[in-house]
Amino acid sequence: MADERVIVVTGVASYWGNRVAARLLEQDDVHVIGIDDEPPQDNVDGLDFIQADLRNPLLVELLQQEQVETVIHLKFRETLTPSESVFEQNVMGTVKLLGACGEAGVARVVLKSSLMVYGARPDNPMFLREDHPLNGNKKYGYLRDWIEIEKYADSFHEQNPETILTILRFGHIVGPKADTPMTRFLREEEAITLLGFDPMVQVIHEDDVVSALVHAANGDHPGAFNVAPEKGMPLWKTLGLASKLPIPILHPFAYWSVSLGGPRLAPLPLDYLRFPCMGDMTKMRDVLQFTPQYTPEETVREFSSQQRVRKLLGKKSREAFEQNRLRDTLQRRKRSREREGARSATRRKNKAA
Amino acid sequence: MGQIDELEQAMNSGADQVTDERDASANGDEKAAVMDAPAAPVKKQAKKARKKKMPAKKSKSTRRARAALREQIQEPPVADELPDVQAELEANPELQKRNQALGEELLHEVELLIKRLMRLSPAYKTQLAVPQEVQEAIGDNIEAAASSAGGASILKRLQSLLPGEMLDTDTLKGLWTMLKFTGEYQVDVLKRRMKGDYETDEWGMDQEFIDAVRPLFDFMYNKYWRVTMSGLENVPEEGRALLVSNHSGQLPMDGAMIGIGILQNHPASRMMRALYANWFPTLPFVSDILTKTGQVMANDENAERLLRQDNLVAVFPEGYKGVGKLYKDRYHLARFGRGGFVRIALKSKAPMIPVAVVGAEETYISLYKSQTLAKLIGFPYFPISPTFPWLGPLGLIPLPTKWYIDIGEPIHTDAYPEGSENNLMLISQLTDQVRDTVQNMINDRLRQRKSIFMG
Repeated sequence: MADERVIVVTGVASYWGNRVAARLLEQDDVHVIGIDDEPPQDNVDGLDFIQADLRNPLLVELLQQEQVETVIHLKFRETLTPSESVFEQNVMGTVKLLGACGEAGVARVVLKSSLMVYGARPDNPMFLREDHPLNGNKKYGYLRDWIEIEKYADSFHEQNPETILTILRFGHIVGPKADTPMTRFLREEEAITLLGFDPMVQVIHEDDVVSALVHAANGDHPGAFNVAPEKGMPLWKTLGLASKLPIPILHPFAYWSVSLGGPRLAPLPLDYLRFPCMGDMTKMRDVLQFTPQYTPEETVREFSSQQRVRKLLGKKSREAFEQNRLRDTLQRRKRSREREGARSATRRKNKAA
Repeated sequence: MGQIDELEQAMNSGADQVTDERDASANGDEKAAVMDAPAAPVKKQAKKARKKKMPAKKSKSTRRARAALREQIQEPPVADELPDVQAELEANPELQKRNQALGEELLHEVELLIKRLMRLSPAYKTQLAVPQEVQEAIGDNIEAAASSAGGASILKRLQSLLPGEMLDTDTLKGLWTMLKFTGEYQVDVLKRRMKGDYETDEWGMDQEFIDAVRPLFDFMYNKYWRVTMSGLENVPEEGRALLVSNHSGQLPMDGAMIGIGILQNHPASRMMRALYANWFPTLPFVSDILTKTGQVMANDENAERLLRQDNLVAVFPEGYKGVGKLYKDRYHLARFGRGGFVRIALKSKAPMIPVAVVGAEETYISLYKSQTLAKLIGFPYFPISPTFPWLGPLGLIPLPTKWYIDIGEPIHTDAYPEGSENNLMLISQLTDQVRDTVQNMINDRLRQRKSIFMG
């Protein structure tokens, strides 16, 4: 065990935690501990699952005892309306976890955030650099929590300079399986847009998100990074690629109705349908040395083709989906058993040596 | 039944006479010669169709009956005052042949179009497939209308009114093809764009959109304001450069005209990218159009990035103070901001090229700026002119003044040492230098100008 890196992934019951843990387990030199307050539905084999709440004070002991090298924090609940209990889980959970990491001397912490924290504003530069102030719309639950987490992470970094803190700010994540504000916007029957506004958006594929998180966990990259394909595209083009007919609404009415009806009416804050909020990818390319594999067009096209299949088949598709998932799980178990065998073989060799 | 048979027979005999007469005059009949060509295939088709469905005899009889009716309708021929096109046609067999061929081609085109329509919207199938009788009636009546004196005379009169080539078959055919082509092209483009299959650059510039709106701006440049551009040799063929211009005219049309001028007349026909004020992105359509035509919001980061990418960038340092100038203050340059453009030019070592636009000041006559109204609507200024807002949208029509755009010699910045973008003295000095240059260029042009509208 000593030659293996120990990586803790929080939120393994959620989609991102699950994917990242599974991807990490494909590497041979890591031991992955998954932490969540509920057991994961998709069982990731080889995962060392510990059921715990992040706010538990014994977390420090866990991190110390397991000699954890890296923590990837993916426990995050996305809610549209600001909610106290979710805020408690998201932000206080992160605060407690970061505190524990600092005390236990964890070498690396990776956080997942979004480009949306910069806020879409008329006076934004077209390509926002990482040092731009975070002016996001705080009326939306998930955005407020992201911004609060980032602000706390900033002060944590000042107090614990020896811990390498990587924050990845992703563009709009789109993919056949992910559930993000953008996919919710694209999945809705009517894509409501603002009349006469067509801002540029950056779209990143869910697989690239997982790759970027794993990439960040495997190297030393202190600081915040914008992560998205370099090229943005107009919002209407995105809708066209997703085969959605945009329904333009005069913006004062749209703002008025959202202010009355609350954020539930629009999964994306209206500002993001009006002004550009794009990141400058120079730092990602040069410092993080990561390049997304999917072009934005590919991403949205793949998403829309999956959507069409789902819509056509309805109930049957869900059954097929379940079957595929079982097949995937079986294959994964087979792979992991082979790997386990190989690993025990090397261990035996080491012992013999 | 007997009565009907009798009647039919009587009609048949009558009709026989008519057809015989027609046959006798056959090709010599001038009216038939014109319209037979296009009508013939229709008739043939109709006949074929009828043969399939109805007994031939009956169809013949009805046809004759119609011919008889036509004979009754016919009016006396018109006096030959006008040049006889038909006679000419008749005399020249080649022309006749061509006419016939063209008619057949036209029919073929129509058939193709119908097929296309049927394929595109199968729901309309029933309406498009005309019942045989109607088709037949149309075929007959077209002939009747054309051969009747009224139709011919109208055609002749029209021909004398319009220039000769307007009613030429070739012209009409050309027009039709053009219309068809543009229609198809537009539909295809729209369809493709609805599927999101188009490209923009990283700033959102959309070349297809530019191509679509450019004719309007070309018209404004060439015909409406008759812009005269001078000093184009000062704009480099490649590499970064910063155009610094005065700003005027209530609406930022001066930026568009400089851009169009360079696109039209510069040997490299470079795309200019103007930086616009941060009020415009909040306006619907305006923000969209500005982005799609390649203009960029003005701030340091954007300007630096554009220059680093070796673009030709235009700035208007006067900002709102320049655009919203009153008529009495025309051609007096406002403050050139805080010299941010000089700092960026120094930082990216781009030459600054002074530009003077004369004529844009008089497109609207702003007599007064209403603070209250501006605040109420959220505009940075609200001009009151003799026509606006009293005439509503009509007051927005600019006056057709004569414009001059003069491009001065570049002020090079690459000779200054590294880090001089922090030298505040140098920045203010250069700002004043550029401002004075632009003011002098404006004054020179104003001295030469004799009339606002004629130049």
